[in-house]
Amino acid sequence: MGSCEALIIGGSAGSLDVLLKVLPALRYDLSFPIVIVVHRKYGTDSLLPELLAGKTRLHVKEVDEKERLVAGTIYIAPSDYHTLVEQDRTFSLDYSEKINYSRPAIDVTFQTAAEVYQKKLVCLLLSGSNADGVNGLKSVKSWGGVAAIQDPSTAQVAYMPEQASIHVKIDHFLAIEDMAEFINLLS
Amino acid sequence: MAEQKKVFIFDDNTDILELCTFILEDAGYEIKTSSTSNNIIDQVSGYIPDIIFMDNWLPDVGGIEATRELKAHDTLKTIPVIYFSANNDVMSLADQAGADGYLSKPFDIQELENIILKHLPA
Repeated sequence: MGSCEALIIGGSAGSLDVLLKVLPALRYDLSFPIVIVVHRKYGTDSLLPELLAGKTRLHVKEVDEKERLVAGTIYIAPSDYHTLVEQDRTFSLDYSEKINYSRPAIDVTFQTAAEVYQKKLVCLLLSGSNADGVNGLKSVKSWGGVAAIQDPSTAQVAYMPEQASIHVKIDHFLAIEDMAEFINLLS
Repeated sequence: MAEQKKVFIFDDNTDILELCTFILEDAGYEIKTSSTSNNIIDQVSGYIPDIIFMDNWLPDVGGIEATRELKAHDTLKTIPVIYFSANNDVMSLADQAGADGYLSKPFDIQELENIILKHLPA
């Protein structure tokens, strides 16, 4: 803990409620960027960043192509694009095929960030109804990063974190009320 | 304290329903949502909202037909219906449906709140 250089949070059904509870309790001077990848359909573009921005003192914005990841900012993956993290610590957006029936796919962001940040990456997988994120967490572990999941017993839809717990050696199982402190201590 | 205004949103996009629910509850509204416009009269009669948001593309009945049914009803016709769609022709679709206003998708929180205030002055 304390050496985190990026936190990626992935989620699907049931994850918005978690984010709305966790974000207000985050310290405003986090020393790393947070990237949030949640499955959502077109038509919600500015609503999610705006809703989350109203819950935190951290700067919240939707990811832009070629944008550099900056500490203390929360980036929201746009709907209908995969969000990749490049070696120069910038984002790229990709309109290739859906993965796990999803675009954005959590796996893509977890996997690309794992290669860049390696041991300095923390990934957190929340509530959801498919297995997106599980392969991404495997990559995170293979590069030496930290894999955390929402404790499935606290998830509105347990399938996604459950699948991760079955297939990946998880470092942290987090109840919703413990997530903000966990994140704050990464700084 | 003023009574909470009630908003009923019809959309098959569950992301829109979830986000609008959080946003409008934060703004002090009471929200009900549905992903189908089937039995529209029963659904609306069972809640009696102050304002309705109706998506254009809804399975089975569709937004235009559902809005027309509401606007042909003796008592429910007075409830403002805001038609919303990602379709470029949202204004014309709202007109065909007989809706009271329209909102183009994607929209932002301010646009959502403004159109409610326009049709439901405090």
